[in-house]
Amino acid sequence: MSDPFADVPATTRGDIRAALPIARQRLAEPGAWLTGAERVAVAAEVRQSWNCALCNERKNALSPYTVAGEHDHLGALPAAWLDIVHPLTTDSGRLTRAWYQGIRDAGVAEDEFVEIVSVTIVAVVMDSLMIGVGAEPPALPEPVAGEPKRVRAEEATLGPGWVSTIAPENVRPRMADYYANESYFYIRRSLTLVPEELPKYWDLMDPLYMSDPRVEELGDLKRSINRAQIEFLAARSSALLGCFY
Amino acid sequence: MSGDHTGDEYDLNAVMNGKADGGVPHGSILSAFAEGICRNDRAATATARAAVVEAMGEAAMVDAAAVIAAFNAYPRAADATGIPLEDAKAEMTVGLREDLGLEAFNTGGV
Repeated sequence: MSDPFADVPATTRGDIRAALPIARQRLAEPGAWLTGAERVAVAAEVRQSWNCALCNERKNALSPYTVAGEHDHLGALPAAWLDIVHPLTTDSGRLTRAWYQGIRDAGVAEDEFVEIVSVTIVAVVMDSLMIGVGAEPPALPEPVAGEPKRVRAEEATLGPGWVSTIAPENVRPRMADYYANESYFYIRRSLTLVPEELPKYWDLMDPLYMSDPRVEELGDLKRSINRAQIEFLAARSSALLGCFY
Repeated sequence: MSGDHTGDEYDLNAVMNGKADGGVPHGSILSAFAEGICRNDRAATATARAAVVEAMGEAAMVDAAAVIAAFNAYPRAADATGIPLEDAKAEMTVGLREDLGLEAFNTGGV
């Protein structure tokens, strides 16, 4: 089988090069709450959402919530899932608690929601990197058969946002090292309701940015841009997405 | 605003408006690169990529794309789950957030 990441530049760091095929394959494997087919369908819908007329109209509206309509979609996902994937991809800075509550009221379980969010983000990130470096986003993998176990992380509690998370003081052995090095940032806590999803997410993000942002300048990290440039890009990207965090 | 460890001075308004380099080396072209990727605009990204490669080299372009890709994740995770800024960070950055108008983005509680 040909390498789906064959056309990334030769200068791509080895840790990034290694993380990409793993992240892609994990999109296809059964998750804790979604089947492999559902996960691949979510990733496909991420790409579709950029061509969605409703999303485009909402993006240009003063408030996206004043524009009604149906998403242009691929037909594989329930409407409530589309209402997660599309706005999270195209207009994430204007998501609200009311949006989340609408998703829940439409029958999406809290744990399902978190896994859909994680898969959506991994797909967005993978494609963003490929578009950035001038490579074609890879073909999506064939789904791997198998059923999700759908077991709730009982140690999770509501907050600090509107979904439940696992606080550092409540971790069980399976997440023993997750909050190591005082990495208690809320952003690290955000998707912990589905612990199985965490390595799928962070094993891609860490090499792209850094696993411990507390290092002075770049510490031992080898980068071709300096720390000021890294943080400038981080802040500029967050601003472009309309994120206050 | 100054870099804690380098003593360099940065103008963080460039983060918000993208119109200047903010004192960051090659800040303007990096800003355009981030804009292209975050907007999923392949033509703009290609133009910005060429400028980054010319000014900084291909390895720097890839590292820049990697950071931009990562910061297409963290904001989305924060905004989808409604997580707030940690109290300590909010206290530390109150002046900065006011200067940059960042609270305009804090609409999640609606």
